[in-house]
Amino acid sequence: MTSAFPYLTTLILLPAGAAVVVALLPSAQRRAVQVVGIVASLAVLGIAAAATVAFTAGYGGYQFISSHQWIAAFGISWSLGMDGISLFLVLMTALLFPIALAASGDRAGDKSFVAWILVLEAGCLGGFLALDLLLFFVFFELTLVPVYFVIAGWGHERRGYAAGKFFLYTLGASAFLFVGILALAAIHASQTGVTTFDVRALADTHLSGTAGVLLFLAFTAAFAVKAPIFPFHTWSPDAYREAPAAGSLLLAGVMAKLGTYGIIRFDLALFPRAVVTLAPLLLTLGAIGIIYGAVVAAVERDLKRLVAYSSLAHLGFIVIGAFALTREALTGAVLQMVNHGLYTAALFILIAVLYRRLGTFSVREMRGLQRRVPVLAGVFTVVMLASIGVPGLNGFVGEFLILAGTFLTHRWWAVVATAGVVLAAVYLLWAYQQAFQGKPTVEPGAVRDLTWREGLVLAPLVILIVLLGIFPGPLLSRIGPSVTQVVTHVEVVAHQRPPQVGVPGVAVRQGAGVRQ
Amino acid sequence: MSLVATVPILSGLVASASFVTPQVNYVAILPELILIGGALALLISGQLVFAKVPTALYSAGSGAVAAAALVASLVLWHDVQARGPFTAIADSVAVDGFAVVFLVLVSCILILGSVIANDFLIREGTSGPEYHVLALLAGSGAMLMASANDLILIFVALEIMSIPLYVLTGMDLRRRESGEAAMKYFVLGAFSSAIFVYGIALVYGATGSVNLPQIAAYLSSNFVMSNGVLLAGLGLLLVGFGFKVSAVPFHMWTPDVYQGAPTPVTGFMIAIAKAGGFAALLRVFFSTFGTLRTDWQPMLWVIAIVTLLLGAIGGLVQRDVKRMLAYSSINHAGFILVGLAAATSQGISGSVYYVFVYAFLVLGSFAVITVVGGRGDLDHDLDAYRGLGRRQPALALAFTLLLLGQTGVPFTTGFLAKLYVISAAVRAHSYALAVVAMLSAAIAAAYYLRLVFLMYGVRLPVGTGNDEGALSLPVKGDPPEEPAPAGPAPGSVNLGPVRVPGPTAVAIFVTVAVTIVFGIWPAPLVDFVKAAGLLF
Amino acid sequence: MLRVVFLVPLLPLAGFVTLLLSGRRLGNPLAGWLATLTVAASFVVTVVVFTGLFQLPATGRSYTQTWFTWISAGHLHVDMGLLVDPLSMTMAAFVTGVGALIHLYSIGYMEHDEDFPKFFLYMNLFVAAMLLLVLADNFLLLFLGWEGVGVCSYFLIGFWFERNSAASAAKKAMIFNRIGDSAFLVALFLIYERTGSLEYHTVFARLGAVGEPSLVAIGLLLFAGAVGKSAQIPLYPWLADAMEGPTPVSALIHAATMVTAGVYLMCRINPILYRAPDAAHVIAIVGAATALVGATIACAQNDIKKILAYSTISQLGYMFLAAGIGAYDAAIFLMLTHAFYKALLFLGAGSVIHAMNDDQDVKTMGGLARLMPITAVTFLIGWLSIGGVPVFSGFWSKGDVLLNGYAFSPALWVVGALTGVLTAYYLGRAYLLVFRGQQRWVEARVTGGTAGHGPRDPSWVMSLPLVVLGALSALGGLINLPIHPDLDFLDRWLTPVFESRLLQHHWGIGGVWTFALIDGGLAVLGVCLAIALWGHTSERPAAEPVFLRRAWYIDWAYDRFIARPSTEVAVETSSVVEAKGIDGAVNGVAWLVRATGRQLRKVQTGYVRNYGLGLAAGLVLILAYVLTRTS
Repeated sequence: MTSAFPYLTTLILLPAGAAVVVALLPSAQRRAVQVVGIVASLAVLGIAAAATVAFTAGYGGYQFISSHQWIAAFGISWSLGMDGISLFLVLMTALLFPIALAASGDRAGDKSFVAWILVLEAGCLGGFLALDLLLFFVFFELTLVPVYFVIAGWGHERRGYAAGKFFLYTLGASAFLFVGILALAAIHASQTGVTTFDVRALADTHLSGTAGVLLFLAFTAAFAVKAPIFPFHTWSPDAYREAPAAGSLLLAGVMAKLGTYGIIRFDLALFPRAVVTLAPLLLTLGAIGIIYGAVVAAVERDLKRLVAYSSLAHLGFIVIGAFALTREALTGAVLQMVNHGLYTAALFILIAVLYRRLGTFSVREMRGLQRRVPVLAGVFTVVMLASIGVPGLNGFVGEFLILAGTFLTHRWWAVVATAGVVLAAVYLLWAYQQAFQGKPTVEPGAVRDLTWREGLVLAPLVILIVLLGIFPGPLLSRIGPSVTQVVTHVEVVAHQRPPQVGVPGVAVRQGAGVRQ
Repeated sequence: MSLVATVPILSGLVASASFVTPQVNYVAILPELILIGGALALLISGQLVFAKVPTALYSAGSGAVAAAALVASLVLWHDVQARGPFTAIADSVAVDGFAVVFLVLVSCILILGSVIANDFLIREGTSGPEYHVLALLAGSGAMLMASANDLILIFVALEIMSIPLYVLTGMDLRRRESGEAAMKYFVLGAFSSAIFVYGIALVYGATGSVNLPQIAAYLSSNFVMSNGVLLAGLGLLLVGFGFKVSAVPFHMWTPDVYQGAPTPVTGFMIAIAKAGGFAALLRVFFSTFGTLRTDWQPMLWVIAIVTLLLGAIGGLVQRDVKRMLAYSSINHAGFILVGLAAATSQGISGSVYYVFVYAFLVLGSFAVITVVGGRGDLDHDLDAYRGLGRRQPALALAFTLLLLGQTGVPFTTGFLAKLYVISAAVRAHSYALAVVAMLSAAIAAAYYLRLVFLMYGVRLPVGTGNDEGALSLPVKGDPPEEPAPAGPAPGSVNLGPVRVPGPTAVAIFVTVAVTIVFGIWPAPLVDFVKAAGLLF
Repeated sequence: MLRVVFLVPLLPLAGFVTLLLSGRRLGNPLAGWLATLTVAASFVVTVVVFTGLFQLPATGRSYTQTWFTWISAGHLHVDMGLLVDPLSMTMAAFVTGVGALIHLYSIGYMEHDEDFPKFFLYMNLFVAAMLLLVLADNFLLLFLGWEGVGVCSYFLIGFWFERNSAASAAKKAMIFNRIGDSAFLVALFLIYERTGSLEYHTVFARLGAVGEPSLVAIGLLLFAGAVGKSAQIPLYPWLADAMEGPTPVSALIHAATMVTAGVYLMCRINPILYRAPDAAHVIAIVGAATALVGATIACAQNDIKKILAYSTISQLGYMFLAAGIGAYDAAIFLMLTHAFYKALLFLGAGSVIHAMNDDQDVKTMGGLARLMPITAVTFLIGWLSIGGVPVFSGFWSKGDVLLNGYAFSPALWVVGALTGVLTAYYLGRAYLLVFRGQQRWVEARVTGGTAGHGPRDPSWVMSLPLVVLGALSALGGLINLPIHPDLDFLDRWLTPVFESRLLQHHWGIGGVWTFALIDGGLAVLGVCLAIALWGHTSERPAAEPVFLRRAWYIDWAYDRFIARPSTEVAVETSSVVEAKGIDGAVNGVAWLVRATGRQLRKVQTGYVRNYGLGLAAGLVLILAYVLTRTS
């Protein structure tokens, strides 16, 4: 299904072009830089919104497909497409970037900062839209550079260490992805004589069991580091901690999703057999991540690192959802990617606001703020509850779908993961009590409450957090068909039979009996 | 073996009895001739004209010569496209896509080199045409290596290329290291040349010919019963080539020489030596000894791996930027060998493409280093790069892009080069090699990033603690870094902006442009280099 | 007429939104009045719907109103929809009714608080959530309300967040609830897996195909959720701490409504429990145990609110006992009456605390009866009612439970009866210490506060609810008199929900009367005991063993065996496993690579001879390799 207007290409080229424009502006023109940055990112949001409107719900395949030769010699093509799985990730990305720019205060006047952010936006969108594996890899890698510069250039004390660790860890991991992609293409070429990296074509490649597993591991290595999945996460607390607000926000909100998205889009599509074979492994890692992240977060005194570990836990949920191989769980995983992006972004912004006021990330140095900054505290509470997964807010819907779906196929993993629900409450409420409750230490008027500008930046996030908690319908109805396609594909290829796993209510049809 | 070998020797003697000079097709070697002629002209003019000739004029002259060579090369390119590859001068010179690509490359290197050198020479107040003469001669040697179709000729070309490089290395009389480097380079170079010649002898002994096509024909038609001598000869040739392209373990001279030589020379030397060395290496091993690939592939496989790793790891602990990039050049040599190890025409084109784009990357990088080095060519310690991003944004940006290109970041030619050779390796099922290569690239990225971080991450005045960037931080009890031989103590570096001469700026811009433009729009360059696949 | 039911939860929600947007501007007391009005209006609507439902034939008394699809993915389809049936309407009626009264009371109680609007903001949200809980037509929406009330209780317990004790208590309540909720969630997954739906009617319709083990699991897991919410053994400690919240909160949330949600849930899933008797028995036993334990602890407390808190725990145990043995109607009956008299007692305690200038220790009160007659009389009614003294509402409801209890197993009856005696006793103790005997409080301390006068009855906004609730506590029994088949309105009203699954007991009227006499006797015994022990003295250490004052050391146990160990584990994990293990490995690799580099540098001596050697070595290696290939 193609469309008249090249939505997707525009989505990528617009921020890239804007980055160039910004780079060409004289650095003295801080105002112009700021305006171009915001306007460009808002324009991207507009296009993404338009695409969402034009998107035909109920159709599971790719839409707005655009395909052009790029490097004929290598069979690399500029082929983009959007389906229910990428749709809302794109929309969220387009939403978070203007917010990130708006949230970085006067930094949004540093031209190199803005330029890098825009490059990053192009990279992330490209990653979510690419249908050509190598094109995806190109964007996947490209994102490293701007993030490196954003952390190294505008980060906190240990930025050099954090930025380097992030860059090298991810680059090292993607070495496997790179070779894996080339190997897969080679195998496909040897079978069909056609050299292509188009994921739709490669999905038909016949892989021996071993080859499939090895390739799966090669791919997943890169995604696991990017996400991150336990135990490949240790770059994230440092990177999140040292990055400037916008950096942390985009790292956790958008770039982490490149990893989980890669798993859903490529692992599930390309290596169904390996996925079924290794699902228990990944499920276990996800479950460990949930518990482990929560446990470590429980003793973390630094708000940013705390959020980093809570992200580890939340991504654990997404991983579980991806590998449970049921429609409920996968739908939940996709939805949760968006949800997590929203409330994590909000959390990082709030933390940044606090930092601007108090010059610290450590809850030890905060006390009784609720009395001094009630509005901020209120917003923080809502976001916190969303992240805890309280029903009525967006976090719950995704989590519930993931767990309910996982329970159908992998009962005990779901049960363990559910324990994470308790732990999440423990560390977040603890942090909240430390920072916002008790006798205030700062004088009245010493710290300002949310300003209008800050409120404006947060408003869309908070509204969505509440809205998606009650009306997730529009999203689910668009995610659903694509998810069904993926799950069916896995079932058919892996089991050579129409989908059976994870159909609830079996008791009703097949009589009682515990199924694992 | 004896029986097999003696027959052709006899016939050779017979042939020599009635000696006939071959008829010479000068067009085939026109580029080389232009360079040599130009070199001589410059030299003579330097002696005849008593008035002091401004250096710029010499530079312009050599640039013009190189440009002429480029035109000639393009003419040959057209011929090859039209008539297909052919040989000349009694089959001793091959004019095929492979050769022509290198002719073009060498011409470009010479042009850029002369521009960069010009500003260097002016800055250092060196007069006289010597530099350019030597550069042009070395260039002609490199060209000849690419088109040589005969082991003897390859050896001659090798020497024509090497000897000027020895001299160039030692050109900076003020710095002890320069002379020292030249000496090391010369001694070891002679050593390796000797081995190389001996290799030729063995091969001749085994096959009865030094002419590559004849050797190939012989190997494909006869089965060599006892291949010991042949393989030994092959091994010795590999040593000779390995030395030139600084493959491990024949690399040890590399850091010292590259650090000691005058900076523009280093850049030029890396580019030209890699071009010439790899040209001959690829041709000899792939086209001539292709039938023996099962024998030499394992060798190259091992050499490639150690070269990759050593180049990556060795650079991590260097404080001298030239030394650091010397190691990086070793790492890149490893990548190029990966292409050869695949022993497929895709692999060969990959290697050629890699050599091609790397030449530009390295020229640009050393042009920047030359500029930052400042008068006296001394400031090569990392500290010289602290906050360069604030002091000289344009220069820093250019350097950053070149370094990212070497890292292999998407939308640079560096990425495509890696993609090219790695996909060749994967096609040849050497997955381990591919993974090691990419991991080595990730390791090497550490020191590229370290430079980048120094340029951008550090807020002046120099912060304490973690400003050293990525991998230098978590290390406990890190012994003090080996002091950069010529570099002044950190801190004493002048942090004022340095002057970027116009021509050099242009040269740097060109290299960056090539890196980025062909990174985003790769088709032209890729297709051009693909032609290298059609060997004679 | 039933269609207006959507207004029931939406009115308080609207109040919440209005206060959220303009609470500060409305200020004190307008915000309070607005909140009270919305709840009262919601009560009126409830009554309308109630009567509408009443006019339907007994069998057809069920009406579902679907708003929109909430979650739909894969086979899971959950609507936002309300279920109107006798059970839900009964709950809604008393939630809104009692809620309205307590809102009214709060206007007076909170008048001096600087966060006055915020208080009513939370209260409204709570009522809305509670109504959603009871009106939901599927388990997930019920869970939404379930969590919603939990969150509101978190806010309201921690309302005075500047007190660390309050903040901690709020956190404690939330976490204990989450523990139960995780079990609740698993139950939902199991229900979904087994029946493919979460909607009450569908689920119950498909139970036939679900194996008993699964049903037992479901029942127990849901009960675990209820244990958290309704503070049963072993998750009860949070309720005592929850008394850190303002007293109206304790009255509304931690006595009348929220904590009874667990009981409501048990009644709601009666079809499941009916098919899983083992689960039901566990519920009954845990309930009975909690009833007794709670009562014993209440006997030794000095904080008036803590006495009431433990009494609540004990009474809730009673309700679970009833639900467990299948006497759902008895459970609901007790829940209603308990809502009346416990709310009454809390509000009474509130006005006492107000009068005593925020002192809560019964040992430092005394003799307040003549100063605060209204409070004293209503409190007295509350006491007699909860104590089960004949004709007061508690007498009938508790009697109903005991009656069924005996029919199920005499052991349960014994526990229940004993608890009954204790109940009458400890509240008697509280009443006597607070209102009788000589004054033990210091005039200056009490008057020194903001209120410039001695203890006296509160303003009418606070007294009116006392009076109304007093009347209800006294006469509440009338809604369900077991003495004659035509008089037990509540039973017949609820029958359509429970149908034949109700526990059947076969006492004739005679049997009922005998039980009534025994109950009454026991109650009176408790009353006399209280008067005998505490009528004249306020010091009787023998009657207050430390073991009971420390609430059976439950908090100590939690701290010693769960809190501290898990904290240590967490600290170890982050400082050892994370820092040294995982991150150590990562940095270790980096270090290793660099170290290698440093070693390599040693080879790079700078001497030509060494370099030549290296070259030669390479040559040798190559030749050695060649040897292996020579044929």
